[in-house]
Amino acid sequence: MLSLKTTTAAFVAASVLAAPAAVAQDYPTRTVEVIHSYGPGGGTDRFVRAVAVPFEEIAGQSMVPISIQGGGGMPAFANFQQRRVDGYTLMAISPDQIIAHVLGRIDMAAFQPLARVQYDQGMIVVPADSPFQTIQEFIDHARENPGDLTVGITGAAGFDDTVMGLWNIETGAEVTTVPFGSSEMVSNTLGGQVDAMHEEYGPARGLIESGDMRPLVVFSDERLPVLPDVPTALELGYDVTLGRWRAFAMPADADPEQVETLFGLISEAVASDSYQEVQEQAALQFRSVLLGPDEFQEFIDNEIAVYTQVLTALGLTD
Amino acid sequence: MLEAYGSALVYLFSNPSSFLLIIFSVVWGIAFGSVPGLTGIVGVALLIPFTFVFDPTAGLLLLSGVYVGSTFGGSISAILFNTPGSPEAACTALDGYPMAKKGQAGKALGIALASSAIGGIFGTIVLMLLAPPMAQFALNFGPPEYFALAVLGITAISAIGGGSVLKGLVAGLLGLGIATVGLDPITGTERYTFGNLSLLTGISFVPAIIGTFALAEVLQRAGEKTSTADVITDVSTKLPSMKEFLATRITLIRSSTIGAVIGALPGVGATTAAFISYSEAVRWSKRPQDFGTGVAEGIAAPESANNSAVGGSMIPLLALGIPGSATTAVMLGGLTIHGIIPGPLLMETNTQLVYTVFIGMFIANILMLIFGIRMARYFALILKAPYALVGPAIVVLCMTGVYALNSNIVDVGVMLAMGAFGFLLRKLQYPIASFVIGLVLGPIAERSLRQGLVIADYNYWEFAARPITAILLLGSLASLIYGFYGQWKRYRQVSQAAVQS
Repeated sequence: MLSLKTTTAAFVAASVLAAPAAVAQDYPTRTVEVIHSYGPGGGTDRFVRAVAVPFEEIAGQSMVPISIQGGGGMPAFANFQQRRVDGYTLMAISPDQIIAHVLGRIDMAAFQPLARVQYDQGMIVVPADSPFQTIQEFIDHARENPGDLTVGITGAAGFDDTVMGLWNIETGAEVTTVPFGSSEMVSNTLGGQVDAMHEEYGPARGLIESGDMRPLVVFSDERLPVLPDVPTALELGYDVTLGRWRAFAMPADADPEQVETLFGLISEAVASDSYQEVQEQAALQFRSVLLGPDEFQEFIDNEIAVYTQVLTALGLTD
Repeated sequence: MLEAYGSALVYLFSNPSSFLLIIFSVVWGIAFGSVPGLTGIVGVALLIPFTFVFDPTAGLLLLSGVYVGSTFGGSISAILFNTPGSPEAACTALDGYPMAKKGQAGKALGIALASSAIGGIFGTIVLMLLAPPMAQFALNFGPPEYFALAVLGITAISAIGGGSVLKGLVAGLLGLGIATVGLDPITGTERYTFGNLSLLTGISFVPAIIGTFALAEVLQRAGEKTSTADVITDVSTKLPSMKEFLATRITLIRSSTIGAVIGALPGVGATTAAFISYSEAVRWSKRPQDFGTGVAEGIAAPESANNSAVGGSMIPLLALGIPGSATTAVMLGGLTIHGIIPGPLLMETNTQLVYTVFIGMFIANILMLIFGIRMARYFALILKAPYALVGPAIVVLCMTGVYALNSNIVDVGVMLAMGAFGFLLRKLQYPIASFVIGLVLGPIAERSLRQGLVIADYNYWEFAARPITAILLLGSLASLIYGFYGQWKRYRQVSQAAVQS
């Protein structure tokens, strides 16, 4: 995998070589709109805004998030598809689109992948008074009592369910998932109503630092530098590295030159200090490697394969 | 703690601009709350980028002021046009609008405002004094407790609507039924979507209530033949007297307490608090049949509860880093951008921030009262305009507002359909209150029942035999039995009287 710097450098170089200065000036000439299906002020909305600030300085044009909520993300997707393909409409996508694709609700082929920017990592977290000190104890208990342990997740048959479904398949230590809203999930875990929860590091870190919660395992390729003692599932021999990611996509038949120009601008924006600062404050810096159109397409293909396997095993698709 | 308040006061007085910020934020909040489609959440989200130029304390002052103002603001349009400006205010329309229709718009607004301020101050005091213990107490509420709480609210349906218990129950069941459309909360299976993917997340609440309240009202009034007779000719902007207001004191105390507790529970917020305290106001009233016709308690209960819930929902945010409501979830995002990590350590490491916000919210509630009293009189004057002008304007406002909320055209369709449905309910004299209570509390009851059963491995006894759950469920049962007994007694008296004559 290429590092952020080399990818950026390669693309800046490529765009300088391939496109004369004139192209950079005639696109973008107006506001770039980014459709997403989440609420104003939510994680995705903040992600787009964080990229938009340096983007405006670099491109001289603004980038605005358009929140179209509800309908399981379908109205947002429909709106994205109805708009003219002129390079000024993007969509902010995440694993939710992969799941909608696997469940047959949308087609990922409608997207031209542009840039995957953020890549988060989830953890299994237990409350401070939990009897489980290590992930091994947790797994052992689950193996002896399949389904006895309950794990709070956000949303039914969504991203969290897929991660925990993969965990069940990989470890054979079956846990029962209980879907909540995100804040109820935390309070029910703190209050001991469920045994553990699946949560990303950023939102959980306040409770981890105060000692009210204890992470047992992290779903990433490497241990987090801030949690050096928490093992990854991978090093225990379980291939669970699925994480929530946030990315930009264009319509499938977007102009390749515009794709290239826009990726150049976005990679510059992402490399800026102002974006990096926001990313660090949200604790998203650990494996958020910027992926360009081709790498991102490969990544999506791989995600679709994994999600199909898990969702089929969960009986959610045939 | 005194030291912390001291440093907070020093901050406020050494930054006089923060008072201006509070004034601005309250007015901004009232404006966002009162316009349908612009909710407090949107008001807060729009201001987040502006908080970058301030220090985190000023930023949070700004956001919490908006939150306070918007929770009251919704009641203005709910009372004047039967159009709840925000979901929290839906319940206020049930009695606020009938009172305004009687020509007492000024009184209705005055009660809403004073109750909001009292509830808001109550919630803020609870937040100031009891945040950590309340946050710990709220953690005892698991799914079974949420379920029992929702059931308690739902059982009041039988007491609402005065006339027929049967019609009340049918309307309540319709509300519960409509709430089941969309994805199953536990398995994620599609229910009643009829292959229409736009219905995946169900019938959105705000379009549904704006349809059933506002649009249905316009339809009904358009259907009435004489247009002049129906104009509210006698618009009094007279505010309620102290005596009239103090008559609702028991309701205020009960509702503010309910509001603060429910606000502190993550995942349920001001809207639920308003409906549950309305249910309780009906249950404990000596004249439950009058609710829905414009009684003072029917406005005081939801308004004090939803504003008290504002303070309540700040409790888990500041004490644990868990947002108690959708608006505080957006505020949490704003805090993170400022480099503040919300969590149990926040109250220890950022004392000045936390205590300044406490005082700021206190001031915001008092300012709301001062500004609102004057504004209420002018707002009430709008009703003097002929309905032939106001009615169509309301329809336009509803349609643009509902669309603006999520930029989702399907919501406009939902609003129109629910308008027709609400019109039908009114024509057939089914109580709207029961319907909306079913719509609000149904999803909470269903989700928490099923979460609780998954956790308890479908052991119903284990589910119900928890102290808080058992007390709430037994209370609901007793209230139902008492309600039916009262009905039966009245029925016997009537039939005996008929026999004797």
